[in-house]
Amino acid sequence: MSTSSRLVACVVAVAVVAAAGAPSAPAQSRPLVVGSSATYPPFAYENPQKQIVGFDVDIIKAIAAKTGVQVRIVNTPFVGIFASLNNGDIDLIVSGVTINERRKQSYDFTAPYFEARQLIAVPAGSAVTTLQGLNGKKVAVVTGSTADDIASRAFGKTSGNIRRFDTTPLIISELLSGGVDAAIGDNGVIAYRVQEHKGLKTVNDPALAKDYFGIAVKKGNTALRDTLNKGLAAIIADGTYAKLYRTWFKAEPPVLPTQ
Amino acid sequence: MDAEILWFGWFRADIIQEYGALFWSGLRMTVGVTVVCILQGTLLGLVIGLARLATARNAVANAACRFLLRWPATVYISFFRGTPLFVQILLMHFAVVPLFLNPADGWLISGDLARDLRQDYGALITGIVSLTLNSAAYISEIFRAGIQSIDRGQMEAARSLGLSHARAMYHVVLPQAFRRMLPPLGNNAIALLKDSSLVSAVGLAELAYAARTVAGAYSRYWEPYLTISVMYWLLTLGLAWGVRHLEARYGRGDSR
Repeated sequence: MSTSSRLVACVVAVAVVAAAGAPSAPAQSRPLVVGSSATYPPFAYENPQKQIVGFDVDIIKAIAAKTGVQVRIVNTPFVGIFASLNNGDIDLIVSGVTINERRKQSYDFTAPYFEARQLIAVPAGSAVTTLQGLNGKKVAVVTGSTADDIASRAFGKTSGNIRRFDTTPLIISELLSGGVDAAIGDNGVIAYRVQEHKGLKTVNDPALAKDYFGIAVKKGNTALRDTLNKGLAAIIADGTYAKLYRTWFKAEPPVLPTQ
Repeated sequence: MDAEILWFGWFRADIIQEYGALFWSGLRMTVGVTVVCILQGTLLGLVIGLARLATARNAVANAACRFLLRWPATVYISFFRGTPLFVQILLMHFAVVPLFLNPADGWLISGDLARDLRQDYGALITGIVSLTLNSAAYISEIFRAGIQSIDRGQMEAARSLGLSHARAMYHVVLPQAFRRMLPPLGNNAIALLKDSSLVSAVGLAELAYAARTVAGAYSRYWEPYLTISVMYWLLTLGLAWGVRHLEARYGRGDSR
């Protein structure tokens, strides 16, 4: 590298650092970038026209319409989705993200927009009825998901019986091909997948706690969080939320906590 | 929650410690898979490389060589070098292996044995088969290049002394070719070691899997990925050192 090009590189590096350090106001000049992992029907998935659609997508679009912000949905693999938020590649995550204490330490969440439970998928002939019934059996989960958390706590985080995959379709494939005895995931997605495949059934262990999905923003970005909360409250109040819920889940929406 | 252990003020060593067992078994898995696949890939690569070079003087035998050996070998090499290894792994795990090994209707094994095999060794089978098949394609080309780089006079001289083609190949050509093949074989071994990380996508609990698990659980990326980077780096340094050692030992004949 010549001296002059080294100088140029230095200047560029300094400019990049300066730009990154500058306060990023929630300016309306550019649309907010929404990260969503589109392998998660019915929350977010790619339709045959390559558009990302689903409940999550409709919710954030409705919120955006109410609050007058522009959004752009970017398909972001779930494994790296929080890193993308930290890097500033995306401004918020709407991707069936469960609100939990550990995540709340690192990110800010809006009020819940979906009530989730963990559901177990097993072969139709399986005798398993509870999570504990899976002890000693092979279980597939999505890496870093709530199910991963639950299985890690129940069977040991370094247990070889937990098989981690990148996406929900992969854990269902693994279950279908006999590689595992069960797959655990969020109710909405697991129920959707199981109805697609004869030979599978779902097991609902009532002992598994209720969870809530929230929209995640960077820690400290309270301005954006408050805007989103206002929009969410508004679409719940005017019935848009209930309409979307019925469309995607064919059921009546539960009453969500506002905190 | 365990106490935080901070190194240099930012590196959360406690989460690596917490998942220590996974990193340790992952390291052994990475090394094991790499060693097995290097050995199998070299054997299979030699066979395919020789098949690619097969000729015969007799017209009928030569035609047989072309359609039964050279052609299949060429197609094989072209496919495995021309498609991404990651795609080959997913194809193997979710499509090819279930054909042969399926509790319901496996072509090779079915029933409970298939279920047990798939559950206990499914990802390992996929990993070893995919990496062996893939590296054999590259290694066969290294063999071919090595053999073709030896002057034809060597083979002719050996044949004129009455050695059969096979014996001439084994005693005269291959030993000389092996010396020239060592550096590319070493590079290939290092590439294989690094490529083994791709098998984590189908749930093989090797080093990259351990890092993904930790990254998924904590949403922290520096600690797990830096840890396995250092481990991979040390492994490749060790491999490179081993190859240099072999070169010094077997390359002696050249430096007269």
